[in-house]
Amino acid sequence: MDDKAVGLIRRLGGAEISAVLVFVISFAIPLLTKNVMIYSVLNQIMVGVVATFSVWIMLRMNLLSFATPAFMALGGYTVAIAGQYDISDAVVLTLASFAVPALVAIPLGALVLRLRGTYFVLVTFVLAQIMQLVLFVTPGLTGGSNGISGVPPVNLFGMDMMTNQQVLLFACGLALLATLITAALTRYFRRHFAAIEENDVLAESLGLVVWRYKALGFVISAGVAGLAGFSLVNMLLTAHPSSFDSIISVDFIAYSIIGGRVSILGPIVGTSLMVYATNLFGTHGQYAQGLYGVLILIVVLAARGGIVGSVTALLRRRRAA
Amino acid sequence: MPMFRRIQVSLVAATAVIAGLATPALAQSGCELKIGSMGPMSGGGAQWGLAMDGAARMAAAEVNAEGGLKVGDRKCHVTVVAYDSKYTADGAAAGSNALAAEGIHFIIGPVGAPEATGIKPILGRNQQIAWNGSYAKDAVTTRYPLMFHLGPGPGGWADSVIKEALKHWKIQSVALIAPNDQGGTDIVTVDEVAYKDNGVKTTSEYYQRGTTNFAPIITRVLATNPDAVDTASSPPGDAGVIVKQLRLAGFKGPIGRNGGPGTEEILRVSGGMDVLKDFYWYAGPPDTPEARVIDADYKKLLGKDQTFGASLWGDLPGARMTLKAISVAGTIDDVQKVAEVLRHLPVDDPNLGKGVWSGQKQFGIAQELMYPFGVGIIKDGKEVGVTRVEPKL
Amino acid sequence: MHQFLEAAIIGVGLGAQYALLALGFTLIFGILGVVNFAHGGFYMLGGYVAYTCVAGLGLAYPLAVVVAMLATAALGWLFELLLIEPLIDDHLATLMLSLGLYLIISTVVLAIFGPISMEFAFPVTGSFHAGSVYLPRENLIVLAVCLVAIACLWLVLFRTDLGRALRALADDRAVGMAQGLRPRLLFPLAFALATGLAGLTGALVTPILSLAPGVGEPVLATSFLTVILGGLGSLGGAALAAFIVGLVEAYTSVYFGGSIGALVLFVMVLLLLVFRPTGLLGRDVRGA
Repeated sequence: MDDKAVGLIRRLGGAEISAVLVFVISFAIPLLTKNVMIYSVLNQIMVGVVATFSVWIMLRMNLLSFATPAFMALGGYTVAIAGQYDISDAVVLTLASFAVPALVAIPLGALVLRLRGTYFVLVTFVLAQIMQLVLFVTPGLTGGSNGISGVPPVNLFGMDMMTNQQVLLFACGLALLATLITAALTRYFRRHFAAIEENDVLAESLGLVVWRYKALGFVISAGVAGLAGFSLVNMLLTAHPSSFDSIISVDFIAYSIIGGRVSILGPIVGTSLMVYATNLFGTHGQYAQGLYGVLILIVVLAARGGIVGSVTALLRRRRAA
Repeated sequence: MPMFRRIQVSLVAATAVIAGLATPALAQSGCELKIGSMGPMSGGGAQWGLAMDGAARMAAAEVNAEGGLKVGDRKCHVTVVAYDSKYTADGAAAGSNALAAEGIHFIIGPVGAPEATGIKPILGRNQQIAWNGSYAKDAVTTRYPLMFHLGPGPGGWADSVIKEALKHWKIQSVALIAPNDQGGTDIVTVDEVAYKDNGVKTTSEYYQRGTTNFAPIITRVLATNPDAVDTASSPPGDAGVIVKQLRLAGFKGPIGRNGGPGTEEILRVSGGMDVLKDFYWYAGPPDTPEARVIDADYKKLLGKDQTFGASLWGDLPGARMTLKAISVAGTIDDVQKVAEVLRHLPVDDPNLGKGVWSGQKQFGIAQELMYPFGVGIIKDGKEVGVTRVEPKL
Repeated sequence: MHQFLEAAIIGVGLGAQYALLALGFTLIFGILGVVNFAHGGFYMLGGYVAYTCVAGLGLAYPLAVVVAMLATAALGWLFELLLIEPLIDDHLATLMLSLGLYLIISTVVLAIFGPISMEFAFPVTGSFHAGSVYLPRENLIVLAVCLVAIACLWLVLFRTDLGRALRALADDRAVGMAQGLRPRLLFPLAFALATGLAGLTGALVTPILSLAPGVGEPVLATSFLTVILGGLGSLGGAALAAFIVGLVEAYTSVYFGGSIGALVLFVMVLLLLVFRPTGLLGRDVRGA
């Protein structure tokens, strides 16, 4: 490979390019197979990976966020409510499911981004709980505890995305979009984010306007979570409070930490492994939870820095030897 | 060229995972029939999911004990695959797919209203029959004809329970307490109508699921001076605490439970008959010698005690009828045919007695199994007994 | 009026329980920097150990409570020593480990004891009535034990060398170690102290409420809330906040009902943080 190409790749980021390629390739899978299990697992991965990106963006700035389900709910319910007014255009819905949570995140960010470290962790946990209660006390708008069922399929280029295959293809599309947004954000501002991650007080004193990048990250992260909510509602054809329970944020955090927080490939690897494991363990009935717990312990103990981090470190060591 | 190497690494790492998924679970060859069981098998509602699983396993063991299920001219060995759907809509949807991937077309479960909501729209896609035991307002609908309901729900029994209670106590007002999610609100709204039809004034109080101490809620409820308190569909553990704390607070009136089985557990948690004192409840399938045979058979067939009480009795007919329908239809793959046979099977369980296909009135589709059920009364700390109510349409 | 008094009594009772849980939670966080997701698991385990001692081994209830506290402390000690210790500086990894442990504890409890609530009653029952205000005897005893436990913890932390050492490590680990404090000895001890408190609370509270595999989950959320309100790592703040959370929960639930009550509590915490980002008595803390 000539030096020019290497230079370009370096500027765009190897991991980012691979991540985008993975999702481009993923479009082929629903076209190649009709296996129900693959469809199901892949669709869950496509939803999970987008939600995990939302957590991962915040992790880039050393902020652990539990608020993802709240923003997912905003995105998902936006789509479900739009569906009741017969709005099913894919482009409109995609924009709306990104914009609504992002807009809500602006004032919220002004409140919560003043907090650092574990205070931020805990307050985002509270945010997710508040969202759940807000759903319960607004039955007129959100259907309350019953949620909104019978969401119409989205319409892309005049075609209703109805079959399993179309739903999955659309989920792949949303995942690709979320990857592009996430990659663009974290790649373009990688130095700023790295400085904030390392030591935000120091970064501030060196002249970086920290709050501006934190706010930007928070808003984009909320929008990406909204896309995940859209994808989830589109998969289930239902917006239900149980889909956005605050406790599911633990899953997304687990996905990104287990995959590795150092690279954009971390969320992809972590989500794929853990969603696959969840489906595998699901058929073990009451032992499912425990097996999941054991898997978390093993990965965390065996692979420090997550799977991607460990693999990278291993290869670097081998190359050095 | 280190950068290039790193891309390779990243690519390998990412694609390896996706490739790892491409291992389809192959359906078993030969005549082996797999059925699914589904419901929450961990967390708060675990007893209901595990009861579903127990019912599926028992029905399977029954036919296996006779050499297998007769399908056409073959005898099929029946096995059960359980799925923990975690009381969520997504869990049940994922479960339907996971079971479909194992070639499973018949699911005993799920349990909760959120699960039923999640699985309904995809049963058609996956060609599966499911039996939900939820009390959701739309437990079965004409739109999703492969969903069946292990009834009756509150619409089927609430009126009978209230009428029976009014024979024993003078109740002019009642306060209902239930969780603030679908598992609570759907039942309370049906109960409220039934109470009003019987001339009883109602107030409703919802608590957040996960609440462990009900003392504040009870103080609030008692401020309205109700003649009776109904714990509706609060999980039995919660209802037990509510009963205990109501009595500690000095509430002397009758306490009701218009919301499903669990009285034994309420009795245990609350501290016994002296605490419960005056209680009326929907008792599920009546506790008859014939029903008790199920427990004895369960122990014989599965080698352990039946610990789910009447929940399992209520779930068992769904599993038995499904297997019977498969046998009559003579196919283990043609789901539409099995569903059609099922809809016309006579409702007559060896242990639970004669029932009906109900649901036409409430849901607009007669896909709800309704067997005789009991209304239990405890008065002055003594069990007066369980009155048997015959199902009617 | 009696409703107002009633809510106050309930609130103080809740507050004492929350205080024991939150003190342990903040102790682990303050000293080790670990957000302990398994805290509710230890609470639940305390209940089950006490139950097994009473129902299975025939021990007297007070003795069972002591056994429960020691058993959960021992498990906490082992968990810290074997799993947390090697990764102590990676806060995300330790968070994940405690989450994994919680999932395993719940599954083991479910597999051994089954999903249904246990028959586990407090040995003393009945309540005092004064006019229309009532006061359950069992709640009074639990409240007394909780207050004694909080007092003991206070003595240990502020009047002994061990306590001084632990607080020094919480303040500044590097300086503490330079002074010759040995984290390898003290960290597991601090963890054990905290999980023992959670176990004690479980053994005390589950018999007056209920004991089933799910009872640990709300504990975590409440501990979170209390600890944010009080200020992370601040023991005084945690105790103060626990009583505030208890009283607010009681009053809002009595006057506004369950859903709105919870919402008010959450919004209140959110607002407090806007005006006092470090909680009531907290100080600036390390990153997650």
